[in-house]
Amino acid sequence: MDFNLNEEQQLVQDSVARFVSDHYTLESRQSIIASGQAFSDAHWATIAELGWLGLTLPEAEGGFGGNQIDTMVIMEQFGKGLVLEPFYASIVLGARALILGGSDQLKQEILPAVIEGRCQLAFGYAEEQARFDLNDITTRAKVDGDMFILNGHKSMVQNGGSAQQLIVSARTAGAQTDTTGITLFVIDTATEGLDCSSFPTVDGLTAAEVSLNNVRVPMTRVLGEVDQGFAILQNVAMDGILALSAEALGAMEMLYKDTVTYTQEREQFDHPLADFQVLQHAMVDMFMEYEQCKSLLYRATLEVAQSGLAAMRTVHALKYLIGKVGTKIGENAVQLHGGMGMTEELRIGHYFKRLLVIDAQLGNSDYHLEKFSTSSAYQG
Amino acid sequence: MDIELSPEDLSFQSEVRNFLKENAYKQGDYNKWRLNWFKLARAKGGWDIPKWPEKFGGPGWSPTQHYIWEKQTAVSVTPWDLPFGLSMLAPVLMNYGSQEQQDRFLPAIRDRKVNWCQGYSEPGAGSDLANLKTKAQLTPDGKHYIVNGTKIWTTLAHIADWIFCLVRTSDTGKKQEGISFLLFPMKQTGIEVKPIITLGGAHSVNMVHFTDVKVPVENRVGEADQGWTYAKGLLQHERTGLAGISRSLVALESLKEQAKGVKRGNGTLMDEPAFRTKVAELEVDLMATEFTELRSLAAAAGGHNPGPESSILKLKGTEIQQRIQKLTVEAGGIYSAAWGAKPVGHSFARAGMSGYLSSRAYTIYGGASEVQKDVVAKNVLGIKKSGK
Repeated sequence: MDFNLNEEQQLVQDSVARFVSDHYTLESRQSIIASGQAFSDAHWATIAELGWLGLTLPEAEGGFGGNQIDTMVIMEQFGKGLVLEPFYASIVLGARALILGGSDQLKQEILPAVIEGRCQLAFGYAEEQARFDLNDITTRAKVDGDMFILNGHKSMVQNGGSAQQLIVSARTAGAQTDTTGITLFVIDTATEGLDCSSFPTVDGLTAAEVSLNNVRVPMTRVLGEVDQGFAILQNVAMDGILALSAEALGAMEMLYKDTVTYTQEREQFDHPLADFQVLQHAMVDMFMEYEQCKSLLYRATLEVAQSGLAAMRTVHALKYLIGKVGTKIGENAVQLHGGMGMTEELRIGHYFKRLLVIDAQLGNSDYHLEKFSTSSAYQG
Repeated sequence: MDIELSPEDLSFQSEVRNFLKENAYKQGDYNKWRLNWFKLARAKGGWDIPKWPEKFGGPGWSPTQHYIWEKQTAVSVTPWDLPFGLSMLAPVLMNYGSQEQQDRFLPAIRDRKVNWCQGYSEPGAGSDLANLKTKAQLTPDGKHYIVNGTKIWTTLAHIADWIFCLVRTSDTGKKQEGISFLLFPMKQTGIEVKPIITLGGAHSVNMVHFTDVKVPVENRVGEADQGWTYAKGLLQHERTGLAGISRSLVALESLKEQAKGVKRGNGTLMDEPAFRTKVAELEVDLMATEFTELRSLAAAAGGHNPGPESSILKLKGTEIQQRIQKLTVEAGGIYSAAWGAKPVGHSFARAGMSGYLSSRAYTIYGGASEVQKDVVAKNVLGIKKSGK
């Protein structure tokens, strides 16, 4: 039993923390967003140069063989800086799906460019009627010779407007919510009939609504087996939840610490706010809930690294807690900052907005609590 | 980072499991079995006193081994044991007692021959413990203290043989100064124990009056007027022991089984979304707290001071214990109201209600939760009083 990072992980943590402190003051982040770009190309190039894009990918694919623990280390630091570059969309989701299901040829074609940062990925798994259910899919793919023809709509695809390759889930057999009959496709975003309309999200990132209108995709661009894409989808979502939770943890740490600092500086009624016990206890609650999230993040990440999908129940528990606590810490940080907490000038509002979005990504708090409580351990 | 147990830890785990299984109570004279169990545990190399340092006969386990022991004993039948002598007084004696005091008191504590009680709280000194007024005045010859005053919430004072007691020996200076730490027998003239019956109907705490109780000076632990320092260390010990994570893990599983046995329509209580959701929320908090405890143990194993994790264990641990008790009462439905000698309806309901009512004390004793939060604000978040 050991909860310390090893030497390499420690080095990565230090180097990501340095990147964040060098490049991610609130001013520099907001100026990237104001420029109208989804993220900074220069930062993306730096991230690629530092080797982080390949860090968590298998050595056989040109990566460094890291796992979910390495992703956690990176994402926690990114959360502290509210980093805009699409490591999550391109690597945690996109590259992971390719590794789990891509043919050697497909991986050779795409992954080296992904690791070098020349190619970005996005993952379209959501549809409007599905809410958070990954298996509820109406986008259809029909065989036509050695091609599939896709028609339908994918919703809220993070980084969808910037990616060169898009992975989508589509139904090739079965009824709307069946877990079999789902197939994953890798589509070049320049393909005819594919439209990605990008827009900003409230947290400063971007997403796209993707419509597929007779999009022709070669058989060779199927991930895994036809009709059997759900297992890949689940594995990718599980890694995605771990990464989002690590990012949320970084944001929560900043929020509770900023609040502790601010309440000791700000004076009202001739006292620093932190003199008031009711505020002290509110901050102790924020701190304790943060520590509980950290514990459960460690638990889920270590269990997944050890036993994969068998740890899904702990991952449900994690996403429930992160969603619940993240929004609560965000709300309290704003409350304790008073009027200043309502402004865009302080960074706390930006962390709060990111945590709100994280709660809704890959299933919100209620959704995962329901999954957790309907698992076999709760059946009579 | 990893959560795997080493081969050595795994073999320790099966050794513990075997020991507990082989020596579980089966039938016959309980008290005989109990004392024999401690003898057998002692023969294993200090398993009768897991937390005592090796120097005093303890097993010298790693934090992981302690964790394994906690987990295994929580799911086994072990003899009843009291923390007062073993876990609370003994560390004070080891750190601050004279050689003579250690030789005199520790063996009987280890053999479970002497029951101790703790004389801390007073009618005017609860969470604000340093406000205590029980007076100990030195006789003119300097050989004895004469103790007068009242202690309250004294757990098991009615069966205790001895008491370790905080008394005021000086009124000058800050109230934390001038407190001394005395040991004396309970069965003597001048000591009156009055039962206090608490909400669950149980008699475990008492009011204790001292009238001119004579205590030899050699029964004082450490220096005169320095007792607060010794008592504070003891409180730290008490707090970490109160989280009860392993026991809560077992209690939660029983709760689920009980709820599955409560019929509702064609299903059970566990099919009711509102109830099931509360159980699930509780379980998630417990899963997190279990790892908070592991993080705290791992930090200790690495030679670090217990980190901020440990300060939240008492707060979270006691809250979780109370929530389990509360849900047990809810699961009992109207049968939780039956207050006769025997349970009516669900077999768990009678004990469930008294357990729940007793559990309300968990967030009060050992430093009320609100006081704990003050401590965390100051010591962990680093919030200093501005002095304005």
